[in-house]
Amino acid sequence: MRRQLALIRACSRPTGSLLTEPPLRLSARPLFRIFSRPDFLAGVREMTPPLLGLLPFGLVCGVGAQSAGATVWQSLGLSAFMFSGAAQILATQLLAAGAPVAVTILTCFVVGLRFLMYSAAMAPHLKALPPRWRHALAFLLTDQAFAAGIRRFRASGDNRNAASYFLGSGFLLWATWQCSCLVGYWAGNIIPAAWSLDFVVPLCFLALLVPTLEDRSTRIAALASGVAVVALDALPMRLSLICAGLIGIAAGMIAEARARAR
Amino acid sequence: MSSAWTWWIVILVVGALNYLSRLSFIALFAHVEMPPLVARALRFVPSTMLTAIVVPAVVFTAPATLAFSYTNPKLVAALVAALIAWRLRSATATMVGGMVALWVAQWVGRGAG
Repeated sequence: MRRQLALIRACSRPTGSLLTEPPLRLSARPLFRIFSRPDFLAGVREMTPPLLGLLPFGLVCGVGAQSAGATVWQSLGLSAFMFSGAAQILATQLLAAGAPVAVTILTCFVVGLRFLMYSAAMAPHLKALPPRWRHALAFLLTDQAFAAGIRRFRASGDNRNAASYFLGSGFLLWATWQCSCLVGYWAGNIIPAAWSLDFVVPLCFLALLVPTLEDRSTRIAALASGVAVVALDALPMRLSLICAGLIGIAAGMIAEARARAR
Repeated sequence: MSSAWTWWIVILVVGALNYLSRLSFIALFAHVEMPPLVARALRFVPSTMLTAIVVPAVVFTAPATLAFSYTNPKLVAALVAALIAWRLRSATATMVGGMVALWVAQWVGRGAG
């Protein structure tokens, strides 16, 4: 009876107040109070077009694993646990070339440093969620899911619904990624290289990038990052990626401070 | 050490490191207050990181070969795709338009060369 009363009280509370509530009370709520089916399905639906761009990327990763001599289980392990196209390609290339295990691991880790930034950007939105949700959503943090999810979190006043949206898009991405890597492992070489289908990968990122360029500061940040990533291309272990990100952020913050001072 | 073990060590260690990177600040800032400067910086993460991923894939035609000219089909296609993304705000249209632009630019380039 007391539990039912608490539930009724929880239901009648306006959703907007979630942001200001202490996290403890929210984590005492059962899981189904947080999960929102319509938002989960919206995440699945809206992730579908960007996923078309990811399919060739998965194929490329699968082909890479197969030609590097991995078994199908190892290929599946790469896509399921690493769950990062860039890291998978690097790992297979380095292992095929006979690089030491430590070098392979370090290189993949450096390429994955961008996840630190995604994690930080996601953190304020996931703060009020129960630990179980935070741990699950962290696993689904990829370039695409992050770009789509962070937009939803910023636009939506309700972090709970946005979390379900992120869960939906992230889950679909993970499942599709496993399938496309497997298809690539078995049959990736069927697609002629002359079609340049792998170019869909940057196009998919471009489609996610353009809507984020919402004002002058973000455009300056992106410009600085683009120049820096080309200028720093010679850096080892693809350090150019994370360095360009940091330089772009600094440029954006300076531009924003100047715009405010004016 | 057999090659099979090498693969699994790399898979599991990198998998764990990737997960810890993904969880890092989500876990930290759930317990610690985020400094205001960091909060301001985070707004720029999507724009800068996506740019850093896209630009090298477009302007390099081969490793360390910068092709910043209209004869680079990928650059032409990316500009067309960016215009479509900006005007139509559709991921599907951006990818389809970009691929068509790439094929046309490759075809024209082959004809001229």
